[in-house]
Amino acid sequence: MKKWFVIALLVPVLASFAHAQTGTKKRRPLPYEYGGVVIGNYSANAGFSPVQFDHWLHRAKYTCRLCHVDIGFAMKANTTGIKAADNMKGYYCGTCHNGKMVHGDRKIFEACATKYTREDLKRCSRCHSKGENIKRDYDFATFTERFPKERFGNGVDWEKAEERGLLKPVDFIEGVSIKRPALAVQKDFTLTAKVETMPEIIFSHKKHTVWNGCELCHPEIFAGIKKGMTKYSMVEIFEGKYCGACHMSVAFPTTDCQRCHSKPVR
Amino acid sequence: MPVFLCALVLILSVVAAEANWYFPPPPPPEEFGNLLIDRTSTKNKVKPVTFSHWSHRRKHTCQVCHSELDFAFKVNVSQITEAENLAGKYCGACHDGKIAFDHGKANCEKCHNGDRGYGKEKFPELANLPRTRSGNRIDWVRAMEEKTIAPARFLKVKPTPGIAYEKTLLLEAEWERVPPAIFPHKSHTAWLECSNCHPEIFNIQKKTTKHFEMIKNLAGEFCGVCHLTVAFPMSDCRGCHPTMKGWQ
Repeated sequence: MKKWFVIALLVPVLASFAHAQTGTKKRRPLPYEYGGVVIGNYSANAGFSPVQFDHWLHRAKYTCRLCHVDIGFAMKANTTGIKAADNMKGYYCGTCHNGKMVHGDRKIFEACATKYTREDLKRCSRCHSKGENIKRDYDFATFTERFPKERFGNGVDWEKAEERGLLKPVDFIEGVSIKRPALAVQKDFTLTAKVETMPEIIFSHKKHTVWNGCELCHPEIFAGIKKGMTKYSMVEIFEGKYCGACHMSVAFPTTDCQRCHSKPVR
Repeated sequence: MPVFLCALVLILSVVAAEANWYFPPPPPPEEFGNLLIDRTSTKNKVKPVTFSHWSHRRKHTCQVCHSELDFAFKVNVSQITEAENLAGKYCGACHDGKIAFDHGKANCEKCHNGDRGYGKEKFPELANLPRTRSGNRIDWVRAMEEKTIAPARFLKVKPTPGIAYEKTLLLEAEWERVPPAIFPHKSHTAWLECSNCHPEIFNIQKKTTKHFEMIKNLAGEFCGVCHLTVAFPMSDCRGCHPTMKGWQ
């Protein structure tokens, strides 16, 4: 009897967990928080705070493709398993953060070391900064001031900023990237929404390839052989699949409906 | 055993329901939708901020504050601070001395007065708006449709033209004898943008309705995010279940 009572109690409780995602509003990240990633696979064991990585600074200087294809960062936080040893060998963060590479007029500081002085410890906390009171070299508001504005995400229209030449993201690193003749950019196409009267989606390959090349999306996220081959729904996108791999957390968020659903229904 | 189980679940849900199916006495129309914001005020020895939805929604749609200015849908959640306001964020986006009264010393008491009913002498100005039975006793949706009021859709950042999604959904009630609820997208999109509700409050699958039973609405989820304290309250059953008989 007691067992049934427990089960009867548990059923409604479990049912409410299953649908815990909807029904209430979440807090919207502030513009400077959007695209922020906390990486902490091994940090705590090494006695450091987790790494706070903000996409906004890096994406203003480098393409997505450079890190996510050439250097090999996964598309989901904490799935890459970045180790200090790998950084020191020149992989992952260490590809650029080696104390030698130069971007503009700045030498890129060195990440991770086995031997360090008390003074060097300050450098550790430039990345291992989650929960620490660290003054950043770049201030978000000042840095993004000159970029065209958008309503959601970082509050920056990154696409327009690149188009207007306000930022020129680096897409090639000697010795890491491979230069091959570029493939012809595929044409833009429309996707018909499943729900009647929802405007069609215009997908622009051109806007995406500037940042991503082909390899970031094809063939893993989208098979990309034939239009219509990969079937997906808005619900899956909201779950972080397909377009949602970027457009839920880093690229402009899916809450900006009309930016994709932009073609009036005929 | 299954009979016993069913009975138990039924009893439990009735117990749970009874706790919720109690509507507190509604505030007077001129106080419906008014809030006191007190995230840090009392701690900082100032009076809580009074905020009246009706005085703001006359001139601005919900999305101006809840999308563009990023006010949360729950009181005391947004990190409103004096510094942010002075920098033109949150209240300061309008309360800058140009659009609305400024944040200067002379005006402290206009917000920091701890009086939920503050400004009620202005309520009669709304007497020409169409009436309803509940909430502010004002049919805000009709007021906008009839152009008695023309609330703004944005302040600075113009949104891309809205999606003309006007479908009215028919939502079958879970209980026998309760007629279906209707959900008109049109009267909602006049005030809100898609992302105010989707996908966080409502996923876009219609079968989602299976799990937003009344009890969740009454607990402040789903429709209850707005339709308890700001939009017409759920005690106005026929507001959503138009063919309901013998009830309010």
